[in-house]
Amino acid sequence: MLTLWNLFEASLLCLNAVCVLHEERFMQKMGWGANTQNQGFEDQSSIKFQILNLVRSIRTVTRIPLIILNILTIIFKLLLG
Amino acid sequence: MNFNASRNVGAGGPRKAKRVVDVNAMGAPAPAPSFSPSAPYNTGYAQSPPPPYQQGIQLDGGQEFGTPEPAGNFGFMGGYPQSPMPAPGNIGAMLHQPIVQDMAMQYGNALAAQGREAVQRELGRFVAVSRLRYYFAVDTSYVLRKLLLILFPYRHSEWMVKYDQETPVQPRYDVNAPDLYIPSMGYVTYVLLAGFMLGLQHRFSPEQISIQASSALAYIIFEMVLYLVTLYITSTGTALKTLDLLAFSGYKYTVMIVSLLGALALGGVGYYCCLAYCSAGLSYFLVKTLRLQLLAGSPQPAEQPSYSYGYQPNPYAEQWSKPGGTKRRVYFLLFVALTQPLLCWWLTRHLVPAAALAAPVAT
Repeated sequence: MLTLWNLFEASLLCLNAVCVLHEERFMQKMGWGANTQNQGFEDQSSIKFQILNLVRSIRTVTRIPLIILNILTIIFKLLLG
Repeated sequence: MNFNASRNVGAGGPRKAKRVVDVNAMGAPAPAPSFSPSAPYNTGYAQSPPPPYQQGIQLDGGQEFGTPEPAGNFGFMGGYPQSPMPAPGNIGAMLHQPIVQDMAMQYGNALAAQGREAVQRELGRFVAVSRLRYYFAVDTSYVLRKLLLILFPYRHSEWMVKYDQETPVQPRYDVNAPDLYIPSMGYVTYVLLAGFMLGLQHRFSPEQISIQASSALAYIIFEMVLYLVTLYITSTGTALKTLDLLAFSGYKYTVMIVSLLGALALGGVGYYCCLAYCSAGLSYFLVKTLRLQLLAGSPQPAEQPSYSYGYQPNPYAEQWSKPGGTKRRVYFLLFVALTQPLLCWWLTRHLVPAAALAAPVAT
């Protein structure tokens, strides 16, 4: 059953997953790099571009709060099981 | 470090005033009413630098720690009594004086007003309160007509929302306008009805109410996030606002409540019949309403501002890849219209008695 706590946990895990995608080692190897020269000429509104943009923004914005949230969740789960 | 009498002859006034502040902060006994910090005293004294031959010496004879004198520019300290600084034992007696109480009340009021302003400002940043007020401007006849419309939309002909000089008219005056009253009332009714149905099956406990409520809320949040992310990723440009989307996705609570009542009345058969009929009605209603709202946003098929100068757009690109294209909006509309009945079914199936659910399947 989907409760608020489950939703919170699932979103935390998803955000963690998005943040661990490494720019250099992984994304550029797969062709999802954000700094390539061809980007200016590609279709700026394609789905791939939007998704990668979203990933980059999420990574930049939620890096620090995610650390705090992770620590809090770990402590919470340790204490309450 | 304080007694450098030989060094500072001829030093400027402001520097001397700064040291006056330090000494005052260090040396003066704390004034008894705690809401008058030592700052007012310091700024009062900073205005009168002592005579130059005393500059090097920190502890001036001209300074008096004992008599606080209001300089008239402290508004709420105007009536401060000219009593000397009381010893800690006399604080209780002083607090009972009406003047002190008045000042305390004024200060408290000022603080409360500041706090209220701050809260409203911060809240106004996250939730557009005036925008929210629009969605709750309903009256009884609107609610009745809207509920009837959700359950039987097939005879309604005019689906366009009336506008009043660029802003949509309040829901009170137009049955087509979205509102948030019905969704919020539907949510509460759904939670209560869920508790009731669980009680009938002896599965109830007070925690169930909060579990059902938080579960439904989690589904709302998840659904909204899904819609918003879909709209963003596919770059579908619409005039549909987030609160409108919330309102339209909240109309399914009506369907859920009717289906649950059908399950109460006629068991499994009633549940499935009501669910099927009401879902069809809701999908029809959503398609008709959202078609106008989604497709009313500026299509701009010929404009492609994101391309660099001189770039020829690919003539073989299909309609799909055009930003904010019509096809995307239609697909999004169908996506919404299909997920609503699915969610209705998913959110009510665990509430209908299992035996009643199995019966129509078995026969």
